[in-house]
Amino acid sequence: MTVRVRIPRELYSRMFDDLARRHEFAYERVGFLSAKLGNRGGDPHIVLLTDYHSVLDDQYVDDPRSGARINSVAIREAMQRILDMGSGSFHVHFHAHRGRPGLGSMDLEETPRVVSGLRVAGPMQAHGMLLLSENFCIAHVWMPGGVEPVVAARVTVVGYPLDIFE
Amino acid sequence: MSDIRFSRQSFLGKNSQHTIEQAVVGIAGLGGGGSHIVQQLAHLGFLNYRIYDPDVVEGSNLNRHVGTGIKDVAERTPKIEVAQRVVKGLRPHADIEAYAHKWQYNPGPLRGCDLIFGCVDGFNERRELEACARRYLIPLIDIGMDVHALNNEPPRMGGQVILSMPGGPCMFCLGFLNEATLAREGERYGNAGENPQVVWPNGVLASAAVGIAIDLLTDWTRSLREVVYLEYDGNAGTIKPHMRIRYLSERRCPHYLLNEIGDLD
Repeated sequence: MTVRVRIPRELYSRMFDDLARRHEFAYERVGFLSAKLGNRGGDPHIVLLTDYHSVLDDQYVDDPRSGARINSVAIREAMQRILDMGSGSFHVHFHAHRGRPGLGSMDLEETPRVVSGLRVAGPMQAHGMLLLSENFCIAHVWMPGGVEPVVAARVTVVGYPLDIFE
Repeated sequence: MSDIRFSRQSFLGKNSQHTIEQAVVGIAGLGGGGSHIVQQLAHLGFLNYRIYDPDVVEGSNLNRHVGTGIKDVAERTPKIEVAQRVVKGLRPHADIEAYAHKWQYNPGPLRGCDLIFGCVDGFNERRELEACARRYLIPLIDIGMDVHALNNEPPRMGGQVILSMPGGPCMFCLGFLNEATLAREGERYGNAGENPQVVWPNGVLASAAVGIAIDLLTDWTRSLREVVYLEYDGNAGTIKPHMRIRYLSERRCPHYLLNEIGDLD
């Protein structure tokens, strides 16, 4: 299965600006993106990111073992948005370096747990995780009914210019 | 071979050839404009094509259809075959999905494209193509030309190149499409009619469209940041930003909203 992810540049920039803000104690910030499915019956499957939702300062938990840990209120709000909007949800965070970002051990451990909660709220939608670096972006996507995540074949930032990450 | 072949376009940027080769381009319509576009894309090194055209080559196409010959008329060669021949002659390993019908009958492959060139006839088909591109967050570059007869004056040749960027002004916002024009065309059962067509304006418009695509993909000018609506005046031989851009009050599109994208459930 081939999955491609698209995000409008305006949204990408807004997300980037939010994630770049310093937090009082968290080493990094996280956020959520709303997502719609496209070309469901065809190939490639397309995930379209439609909106960004910042996590409030007081929804971070001070945990020295983690770059950014968020509380249950932030997760519940993300789940509620799925129910309200009928869309999927992607957890997003940023690694401050250039080049293709890689998942840390904490990402590999925590993200599936977060995504499993999102999938309960919207089993017919695509959910997942977006990971940014200063100049690259990757996505892991849990498609409806899928057991394991699919690494997106490409993430395209749609705007001027058109950035294709694969 | 590859290094020499594209050495003259290395100014486009360090990774530009990789970007060009990974992009998936859709071309809806391989007539006068589309045949120029596919040829230029092949020369530039594009490797992934999704192309659509229902027609075969006819005698009346030979005045403008790039890549065709007299033999194609006799053999009624499908236009998609001509396009494949042109591309494969330059890029033998290109991945081409070719469909001998209108894109509406099988839009799935088009949805997978990174960029679409719209070389279609008529306003209604433009509206449909733009709606599809917007729904799947794909930039669309539309080209078209026409010649209007005027009483006691030389005919007027005009055309347009529009980059319809998701989130930005659409063809309705730009005033290129409007309900009255669509309705008039609809009264003729959606038939745009047989318009006068010649090779050189198709070449000008196609070249401008390909230039925009390359800038979009490589950002080599670092200047493509605003609305692109180019107006071609075939009588004067000029192509320039359309004056309507100056009067755009809103840079966001109210017709195609970002929360209305994706499949219709």
